[in-house]
Amino acid sequence: MPAVFPSEEWLKGLEAKLNSDQRYAEIAKHWEGDLFFFIEPEGNLKERLTFYLDLWHGTCRGVHYNPQPEAYPKPAFTLTASYNNIAAILSGNLNPMTAMMTSKLKVKGSMGYMMRNVPTVLDFVRVAQEVTTEIM
Amino acid sequence: MQPILKINLTTGKTEEYRIPERWEKDFLGGASLAARILYSGLTKELDPLSAEAPLLFLMGPMTGTSGPTTGRFVICGKGPATGLWAESNIGGFWGPELRAAGYDGLWITGKASEPVYLWLNGSRLEVRSAAHLWGQDTYTTQDKVKEEVGDKSTRVCVIGEAGEKQVLYASIMCDHGRMAGRTGMGAVMGSKNLKAIAVRGRNEIPVFNLVAYKILRSESNRRLKDDNEAKIIREVGTGGVANYAEYLGAMPVKYYSRGSFEKIDDVSGSKMAETILVGRSACQGCVIACGRVVKLPQDMTKRKGPEHETMVGFGANLLNDDLEAIVDLGDLCDHYGMDTISTSNTIGLAFHLYERGIITEKDTGGIALKWGDVNAIEQLVRMIGSRDGLGDIMAQGARRFGAYFNAEEEAVQVNGLEVAYHDPRGVSGMALSYATSPRGACHNQSDYFFVDWGHTQEKIGIEYLSRHGQAEKAANVAKHQDWRTMFNSMVMCIFANVEPDEQVKLINAACGLDWSLEDLMKSGERAWNLKRAINNRMGLTRANDKLPKALLEPFSDGGSAGFVPDIQGMLSAYYQARGWDVETGKPSREKLLELGLEDVAQDLWGEDLALG
Repeated sequence: MPAVFPSEEWLKGLEAKLNSDQRYAEIAKHWEGDLFFFIEPEGNLKERLTFYLDLWHGTCRGVHYNPQPEAYPKPAFTLTASYNNIAAILSGNLNPMTAMMTSKLKVKGSMGYMMRNVPTVLDFVRVAQEVTTEIM
Repeated sequence: MQPILKINLTTGKTEEYRIPERWEKDFLGGASLAARILYSGLTKELDPLSAEAPLLFLMGPMTGTSGPTTGRFVICGKGPATGLWAESNIGGFWGPELRAAGYDGLWITGKASEPVYLWLNGSRLEVRSAAHLWGQDTYTTQDKVKEEVGDKSTRVCVIGEAGEKQVLYASIMCDHGRMAGRTGMGAVMGSKNLKAIAVRGRNEIPVFNLVAYKILRSESNRRLKDDNEAKIIREVGTGGVANYAEYLGAMPVKYYSRGSFEKIDDVSGSKMAETILVGRSACQGCVIACGRVVKLPQDMTKRKGPEHETMVGFGANLLNDDLEAIVDLGDLCDHYGMDTISTSNTIGLAFHLYERGIITEKDTGGIALKWGDVNAIEQLVRMIGSRDGLGDIMAQGARRFGAYFNAEEEAVQVNGLEVAYHDPRGVSGMALSYATSPRGACHNQSDYFFVDWGHTQEKIGIEYLSRHGQAEKAANVAKHQDWRTMFNSMVMCIFANVEPDEQVKLINAACGLDWSLEDLMKSGERAWNLKRAINNRMGLTRANDKLPKALLEPFSDGGSAGFVPDIQGMLSAYYQARGWDVETGKPSREKLLELGLEDVAQDLWGEDLALG
């Protein structure tokens, strides 16, 4: 279900795609960890936006659009980036590894786990790009 | 900068050498300044293991100032295996201690008549007998020297048995595990009968504008602490990239013949962190702490854990998936004082030649070289370190070892330096890095694999191109080399994500300069060209810029199956980007003059310059 980023529809669309994409299911079959995305205001985004995703063994067990951080007190990962940088990743103009290695995408959590699972991270980004028809 | 102390071990004479001011401005410090200082003495005829050969320990202008990862220094000379420019940088605390003693370098020449060590206590130098230390390993030697000089704060640089026996890739160690690994500077030190250099300093290290510098360094260190890459390296060490490198098909497996290693997870930094890691260690002032401290179940003794190169070299490269054995093998090399890249690469060549029937058990002294056999690997390490049997030939490096058995083309080396563990079939920029590095197949003169993994540097225009890009990335590689050359001038660790404009500010505050970003890059380019000219004078031509056969054969498996770098196309674009003479591979006269290297232009182009 393609949708405009950022929106609740987009997040739901991402959840649906993560649960139906065979390639993602295979590559991410060992992934265990929920995460917060904090999108910092910039450009067209005026207020901080938060996405929560619970990713588990190649599936997405749930999403939450703009939750209070207290609702999920111990996420495995917290990812933070400016709106323009997230938009650039989703539109394919910023390599996700570049974003991470240059700290345009800040990562909190087990870096060892993240490095061990780079293929999963990259495929997650592919899926997110595929559900994005338009960026606000 | 402070003076360099020149020591002639033949005569026992010492003198203070003042670095010309213009050279400091043009080359800053570290390896770049060392190249300028040693330029005229590095000739084709010079035997790198002779008394006349220089061994220069040189600091950077920020060494020991607690700037971001600036506890480092370099050791330079002529490489005994390569016959080319040699530099090897090293962390720990020895460099800062030397600066605190009032010197920014030690320039050793000559040869002592018997084994000695130097004891520099402030400005007082003693040459002491090391006869009782000869034959001792690197760790024991450091402890004994410290005990003898009676000051626990003393820092000691040492060689092990490999350096004494002039294994051509012997290293120099300080601070229990920090190594100047590459290019055989330990053999040069051994050839001078110099076992160790103990240093104790008590002075403040000079910084031009300390107030401004303190503010800049604390901002820089704070940013660095929070940097993603720094966090990765702190948490899982440099070996934390193993899974990613393997996924890309950029990790050499079975002596560069395979593109994937199914057991990679067992020999990764992540696995080490989960199993045997008990602590971390850092060089002076470093907030990253890449050093690993591990305990193995069999003895529960704390020891150094391997970094990426050692893990791959004694792991995937030899089809060994035993992490604890890799720790032991790295430790063994350290005790002998040998570079783990060159050692494991040369051992890989032995296994490769054995598999092809080029060498047999008759050559190995009865050892069957079965891939992954840890006992066989360990025996070869010991034979090399002691120069026993086949180890005596292997101690001369992969190129000469291969040549001895008429199989030089099988050796994965460039100009006598064994290729490090970043395969250009997975990260193509490394093809140019290896082929054009001034010290042979080095991954640190331009660790372009980082760029090919996605690490760009927008402020100086190093952009991300496909990891399988070809000639289009030549200019990018050249720029990256110039920038990394500045790391070796400062001397700053390449694991530090410090922005170039931040570096400029730090340099200006530390040295009282008024550099711009352009000046920084120009200085890097100047030093790169100077090192090239040194090598040209020592016989290097365009024909030396090449890759070994193995790296030009496509993998049949893994993340880079089917790809090989177009090295000739890349080189042509590279010469153009560099402004080098396409026919000879020398920096053009115009380029040298543009960089203010008039004397070098005269030496390289002679009459042409006069006519011009």
